[in-house]
Amino acid sequence: MLIFAASDKGGTGRSVTSANLAYHRALAGDDVCYLDFDFGSPTAVAVFDVADAREAAEDRGLHAYLIGEVSEPERIDVWAKTEHQVLRDPPPGCGRLVLMPGDVSGGEFATTDDNLRRCVDLLMKLYHEFDLVIVDLSAGRSYAVDMALEATAQPEMSELTARWLVFHRWTRQHVAAAASLVFGRRGIVAGGVHRGHDEEALRGAIRFVRAAVPDPESPLWSQVSPTQSAWMRKTDGDLKQLASTAGIGYSQVLGSVPLEPVLQWREQLITDEDVLDSQIANQETWTALSRLAARLTDDKYWEEA
Amino acid sequence: MTAALGQSARSVLACGEVRTCLLPSFQALDGRAAAQLLRLRADEHVRVSERPTMYALSPEVLTGVDCRLPTSNGSKVRAVGTVIARAALTEGRLLQSTAYFSAPAAGPDTRRPWGQYLVRPGLVEPFGKLPQQATVEGVLRGAGRGELDLGTIAEGLLTQLRRHALLDRRVPFKSRPTHLRWVARRQPEGERASLTNFTVAEGGLRTMELRLPEDVPAAAAAGLCEDLALHDWLLTTVQQMLDNSRIGAADGPSVVEALHPVVVHLLHLWMPRAHVDAALGHLWDVLEEKPGFSRQWEKLSRRIRDRLALQAVTMPHQAFSPR
Repeated sequence: MLIFAASDKGGTGRSVTSANLAYHRALAGDDVCYLDFDFGSPTAVAVFDVADAREAAEDRGLHAYLIGEVSEPERIDVWAKTEHQVLRDPPPGCGRLVLMPGDVSGGEFATTDDNLRRCVDLLMKLYHEFDLVIVDLSAGRSYAVDMALEATAQPEMSELTARWLVFHRWTRQHVAAAASLVFGRRGIVAGGVHRGHDEEALRGAIRFVRAAVPDPESPLWSQVSPTQSAWMRKTDGDLKQLASTAGIGYSQVLGSVPLEPVLQWREQLITDEDVLDSQIANQETWTALSRLAARLTDDKYWEEA
Repeated sequence: MTAALGQSARSVLACGEVRTCLLPSFQALDGRAAAQLLRLRADEHVRVSERPTMYALSPEVLTGVDCRLPTSNGSKVRAVGTVIARAALTEGRLLQSTAYFSAPAAGPDTRRPWGQYLVRPGLVEPFGKLPQQATVEGVLRGAGRGELDLGTIAEGLLTQLRRHALLDRRVPFKSRPTHLRWVARRQPEGERASLTNFTVAEGGLRTMELRLPEDVPAAAAAGLCEDLALHDWLLTTVQQMLDNSRIGAADGPSVVEALHPVVVHLLHLWMPRAHVDAALGHLWDVLEEKPGFSRQWEKLSRRIRDRLALQAVTMPHQAFSPR
């Protein structure tokens, strides 16, 4: 299955969350490939902690591949190359976790026929090799999003299952921006239809992920004053109302990830050790990520609303 | 002049890379479809043999090259000539592409008209002396940017074939392609070919070193390497499917479901040296001795059959019933 991770703006935790989803699926036994299509600011190398492997690969990343400079993009075996102590010893029975990094020097670029051809070839090949292929796209209505829409609209890709995750933060601006990214006049749906996608099918393949959501019921906020608490509940309710009006209400949401300092500040994979041993990360976050990872391929969550 | 040319055309080295993958088609192709798929040139036929296994071999296509040779010691040797690429399909299921070339010990210091390279298909001539050892190591390590990259040529052919309109682009199961890089040093005519090294590296890479008598064409070596690569792919793929936790820990119908593709699509493909040149068939014996390719395959197939048999015994009703 192909999963495209998009977001309305930067700073939604799209990269770090989707990388964590890749990690969870690999732990569960799937062979997972993670592609860093965030051409403006590739971050996956930091998230998976594979800086040295990236260095050794020079500029042979996805960017160089798509513009035709190298015949195959670099692959980094995360379990083998990561400098993260815990990731170095994956549990037995886990699947492969491969990162295809972007290029440090690569910026955004327009989709030409050749680039598109190479993109389709690559996605197709990886689809036949991996159980799950996660593509992290640059924020907003970027060239990366265009290329993904264009590639999946090609007739030969019609047999492939492709799904879209749109990450947004839990604020008024982000909710509005996420809705506009998908349903707006120049949004993903309109852009996809323009490229030959079936509107119903495309809409059915898009789900939202609410990131950095503060849960008013969480013990984290148990010390706040009653006024604050009441305000938080009200605002949360208002946001739910707003999301629902904007067409990204409950039925369109695949899951939420709680506000988690480790995700916000460290931007790395959360391991079970972070949760159980050092306890710097919250159990809720681990559970949320794990749930979200399972839902990626659970058709129940992708049926027509 | 003629004598000098004849001298320089005698190769001292042959190098190649084989890529092996599952054909992206839900059904295996029959002989006719295979011939259609592999028809890379209008002027030459695809060779299809039905016995002992269905095997189709495409005509050869040439790629002109003028670039540096991959070398391990950083020496920059420009080389010009043509690389041969070809594709093979076994039992309508496993697709392979190979790119290979031969190189003489030395070549002229200037580039000659293309016609002169074209009359010697598959020969790549160095400017000056060929750094043999460095080239061997360079090819096995893989080409850097700007160097003659056999993998690119082989992969390009594979990509072209994967796009063929004949294919439905659905695979019965997920699998990982492998690539095998090989080099063959030439030795005097009459000596027996030998296999000096075979390694399994990470990332689906295998490397192989051979010694090849002068009278055995490079195409025969390419054929042997394709045969080895194919069987190595089978071992690797089936082993991985068995190692997968979901089979190891699974029980009930999910075992049958997971092993089903192996039984249907792979178990019958094992047929070493079926299409290998007679002069090289004995090289298989080395690998049969150690690490023991066929022994391992026997073990794997037995394990699969045992698992299925066990399943049938413990749950005679559910095991094979449609769900």
